Amino acid sequence: MSKGGRARDRANARRVVEQQQAAERRRRVTMWTSAVVVLVLVVAGLVGWRVLAGQQKSTATALTTPPGVVDSSTAWSVGSGPVVVDVYEDFMCPVCRNFESASGATIKQLVTDKKITVRYHTVAILDASSSGTQYSTRSAGAAAAAAIDGKFIEYHDVLYANQPQEGSTGLTNAKLIDLGKSVGLTSTAFVDAINNKTYDAWVAKVTDTFSSRGYNGTPTIVVAGKLLQGPNQTVPTTAEFTQAVTQAAG
Amino acid sequence: MGVTVETRQQSARWAAAWPWISTAARLGLAAVFLTAGGLKVGDLAASGRSVNAYRLMSFDAAKVVGAIQPFLEISIGLLLLVGLAMRLSAAISALLLVIFIAGIASAWARGLRIDCGCFSKGGDLAAGRTAEYGLEILRDLGFLVLAGILLIKPRTKFSVDGLLMGPADF
Repeated sequence: MSKGGRARDRANARRVVEQQQAAERRRRVTMWTSAVVVLVLVVAGLVGWRVLAGQQKSTATALTTPPGVVDSSTAWSVGSGPVVVDVYEDFMCPVCRNFESASGATIKQLVTDKKITVRYHTVAILDASSSGTQYSTRSAGAAAAAAIDGKFIEYHDVLYANQPQEGSTGLTNAKLIDLGKSVGLTSTAFVDAINNKTYDAWVAKVTDTFSSRGYNGTPTIVVAGKLLQGPNQTVPTTAEFTQAVTQAAG
Repeated sequence: MGVTVETRQQSARWAAAWPWISTAARLGLAAVFLTAGGLKVGDLAASGRSVNAYRLMSFDAAKVVGAIQPFLEISIGLLLLVGLAMRLSAAISALLLVIFIAGIASAWARGLRIDCGCFSKGGDLAAGRTAEYGLEILRDLGFLVLAGILLIKPRTKFSVDGLLMGPADF
């Protein structure tokens, strides 16, 4: 064999070895990076789980259940009629305000006539729509304080009359206190409950109960245990609501 | 012979272009996952409610899934952003997207009126709004195409993979 041929063979052999080494290196890198990816995702999952557990624990610790609530301590009961009507509302929700302005008077009349008992569930699902001020939770917490002072409906109505725009910063705590004053809520307990967020954790519980019952949107109207909706899963009209109550009364 | 040269030139041009196409797909998909996760991570309770709205599992299970999901989305987004173990990361992205598409399709098939919660906290739709399942699925299919590109051509520019393996032939 010529001298040049041997040199070429040696060069070829070296190249083959180098290629094998490079392939080995790629295999090792792929193995380790894949392990890192799996590890990162497992850790991320655990972090999410731990954060949730932490949040649930702090909600449970902060939980102050207001006196006088019904339905597993998650609703305010108004009236004493035989037909139970459950109303799930968020004070930030414009559709709830529409429902209130359309059917609110009818509901009040049916309560006065002792036809229905209304259970108001003040859920907070629109906290993301108040630029970080959590208006849904704050307003529902304030309504709890109002209810303790015996003015749930009055405060409920004044909150809808002054409903802030979805996506705004909502009403300030000072405004929530002022609105209370306008309907005769002047106790220091009312003011303190708003400023100290006393019932915020309870509102989270109300919201969780709402979700665990399979409801997702507000307003959700349930008449005598039956979900009431208009055609195409719309919010029921006053006529549809009255009809459902009459039917349930038998 | 002229044809062969042309074909060879064309394939050489494709070979040079693929890493750039894949890089665009990688960064695009990273942005998608980072945005989706980032929008949900601030309110895990809402994320759980959004999963619950699909009515595919108990509320307790939905809460856990809803809490884990944004963290997974952000992590996969970061892994795509830095370009680590591209083929595996792309496969996991594709798997997540297939799960999302299946969820939306099942909500559609059952006639639920919900917001998919893809880039928001979801839940039932407000009155007057209609569910846009077709569009949502189409959008997710688009993202799935990005993941597919990365699965087939995992080699990208500016990636940790490239750094570790050396820039050439991997």
